[in-house]
Amino acid sequence: MSKLERACIIDDDPIHQFGMKVLMKKLDFTKEVLVFHDGQEAIDALLDLLNVGDQLPSVIFLDLNMPIKDGWGFLDDFVKIPHHNRERVTIYVVSSSINPSDRERAVQYEMVSNYIVKPVDERQLRKLLEEVGE
Amino acid sequence: MIANQVYFQGFPVPVALLDAHLSYVDFSNLWIDKFGLSQDIKGQSFFQSMPELPEELKMDIQYCLEGVVDNRSDQAKVVVANGDSIWYEWKISTLRSEEKEIQGVILVLDNITEKKLEELLLTKSQEVARIGGWEVDLVNSKLYWSKITREIHEVPVDYIPDVAKGISFYKEGYSRDTIARLVQEGIENGTSWDTELQLMTAKGNELWVRAIGEPEIVEGKCVRIVGTFQDIDRSKRAEIAYKKVSDRLAMATRSAGIGIWEFDIPKNELYWDANMYRLYGIKESDFEGVYSAWESCVLPEDQAESAKAVSDAIAGKGNFDTNFRVRWPNGEIRWIKAEAVVIRDEKGKARRMIGVNQDITELKTTKLQLVQSEESLQGAFENSSVGMALVALDGSFIKANQSLCKSLGYSAEELSKLSFQDITHPEDLEIDLALLQEVIDGKRTNYQIEKRYFNKKGQVVHIFLTVTAVKKINGELSHFISQIVDMTSKVEASNKLKGLLELTTSQNNSLLNFAHIVSHNLRSHTANLSMITSFLLDNETSVEEHQESLKMLKRAAGGLDETIAHLNEVVQVKLETGKRMKPISLSKMANKVLKDVAALINENKQHLTLDIPKELEVQGVPAYVESVILNLITNAIKYRNPERNGKISIKTQQTGEHVVLQVKDNGLGIDLDRHGQKLFGMYKTFHGNSDARGIGLFITKNQVESMGGSIAVESKVGEGTTFKVKFLMA
Repeated sequence: MSKLERACIIDDDPIHQFGMKVLMKKLDFTKEVLVFHDGQEAIDALLDLLNVGDQLPSVIFLDLNMPIKDGWGFLDDFVKIPHHNRERVTIYVVSSSINPSDRERAVQYEMVSNYIVKPVDERQLRKLLEEVGE
Repeated sequence: MIANQVYFQGFPVPVALLDAHLSYVDFSNLWIDKFGLSQDIKGQSFFQSMPELPEELKMDIQYCLEGVVDNRSDQAKVVVANGDSIWYEWKISTLRSEEKEIQGVILVLDNITEKKLEELLLTKSQEVARIGGWEVDLVNSKLYWSKITREIHEVPVDYIPDVAKGISFYKEGYSRDTIARLVQEGIENGTSWDTELQLMTAKGNELWVRAIGEPEIVEGKCVRIVGTFQDIDRSKRAEIAYKKVSDRLAMATRSAGIGIWEFDIPKNELYWDANMYRLYGIKESDFEGVYSAWESCVLPEDQAESAKAVSDAIAGKGNFDTNFRVRWPNGEIRWIKAEAVVIRDEKGKARRMIGVNQDITELKTTKLQLVQSEESLQGAFENSSVGMALVALDGSFIKANQSLCKSLGYSAEELSKLSFQDITHPEDLEIDLALLQEVIDGKRTNYQIEKRYFNKKGQVVHIFLTVTAVKKINGELSHFISQIVDMTSKVEASNKLKGLLELTTSQNNSLLNFAHIVSHNLRSHTANLSMITSFLLDNETSVEEHQESLKMLKRAAGGLDETIAHLNEVVQVKLETGKRMKPISLSKMANKVLKDVAALINENKQHLTLDIPKELEVQGVPAYVESVILNLITNAIKYRNPERNGKISIKTQQTGEHVVLQVKDNGLGIDLDRHGQKLFGMYKTFHGNSDARGIGLFITKNQVESMGGSIAVESKVGEGTTFKVKFLMA
């Protein structure tokens, strides 16, 4: 298990952002965390990274219910990024929705690795790091 | 010397004895009377007493006196001074002495002018009538033909006929066979004949003659036959032609069932042709040929009227043209149409009526059936529960039944001043006119559509229309028959049902939505609470993190509280609306809201126009209507386009039983392809605005729907947004 270079949280809820950051710090999850409040902000920033030749985060925690551009909107935009640039990116949809239709829809996207129902706990995050850090 | 004696006095003929000097020696009394002379002519000269005598007579006397002849008889005429012709007939005998010396003449003289005239007249008339004579001398087997007979046969004057030739002039076949038989019978039995036969003349002309023959029998044996020939060709041909015409007429009238009658008014004689008997179903022998005989054939109920028609016609009060019924002996009743003209004498007195009768029973029956079927059709038209109208080619109503009037709220008279175009819903007119044109163009004979009319009050009437073309006898279009089934109540019921279904669907949707809200919005708070709590319970959490977690805990609890409050608001809207609905003036309410947000409008430099009719009222809950208007106006301001001057227009539109409130802005616009589905969802915001809570449109939608309305949106990113709220009209 090795520490990730860069992770990303896309969520408009400050409490969730706070919680994720606390958990990542505890698990020494990543060297750097990028936080965005909605899908649009996130996609813009990620495209900027690519433009300057920087590396995309290896893990993205994506909320579904957000203003301006929600999780689905982000996924639709993200698919359009050339494959070779995003093949090493793993996306986890993190939502408070326990609606099964949301889970089914999310896993339809090949770059979505899993659907996690909030709240995220330490054990889940550790397991996840083990998978990604291989 | 002739003795001066009176011998001739009493002779029954006019006779005179003249001496050699032609002086009277003796004469009969008749002579004196005949020629108007006196007794003292004795001794006078004959020529002196009668100066105007035919030359032939003078010459004959001279011959006899000279002894050339002893007897002379002849007749001749002399034209006297006044120009008259006088015919004389005479016989002269020479009177000789015993020594044969001529002593004088005996003259029998008669004035035969009258007799001669008659003879002439007869000949003339025979010529004119073209009557010729003939005579067969059976003893000598000779045939004599008179001049006219020769002419009739068109043979030369010197033609010598014989019996065989005579017969051969008759036309071969019937005529020749008949004359041969008649002649034979005449010879054998002495029977006479009078017949009309055809001749073929020597020149080959066909000719009708009347042939009369009278055999003369002597001692039981026919010695000769005397007869006449008359050329009757013209009259015969005329007769034949007439017969043809009258046969034709009889045939025509018979086949047309027309009877002809003639009534001699003064004599009360009624003549019927054969057809008349057929028309009245009686035998000729059973008809007395008087007026009352006709009258008794007429059905008693019709007698008064038909008798009046006759007397009116005779009185000159109009033409005789009437219908009546007759009862046949077998009880059958027939309709007769009778027409006649009245013939009057020079004084204007009616002498005769000539007319025709025609059996019109079938026509009458057909007419009756037609009237009955028209009546029943009329009844069906008037009383049908289906609306019916006769519509002119230009679309105007010719006639409308009660049912249609009832559906449309117009009287039949009012409708007759309208056309279907006047009362058809504009959206339905085009298709109706297009189909009608197809009928006019002959592409179809009828069509059916569902369409809408406006009734007299301007309300929509849903109908099912069937239009059928009616043609004239010449094939041109005459008019249309429209059948109109009023489906308003059905459509309303179906709309109500649809409304109920929509309501149920929308309630199901809001239930789902509510479940989603509970699962998502409440869960996001509980998830946060759960996570924070785990931090607080974790011993490894640093002091700073602990402090931060407590702050977050408070925040999460507040969020949960707020969400529950919103949900409560929604539930309240759903539960309580029905009880508080009342008529609200949209105009007043909009003005109230505008007053409240005046500061906000000014601050953001929004140009706002309001156009709502003052009298317009909707059904609603005042607080909701206020909240809806407020929310839409504040949204328009909130999502204005900072790059241009804001314009907001508020207006209304009436459609049937709804009022649509329209709030239009020229703001940022919403990408409806992307967000349309969740625009009215809870906690949805789309512009990243700091004060967007994602609750306004959700509440608005719930409020509008709870008041029986609906909300829709049209928008284009960068151009602006229009919200349309449909309210129930008060």
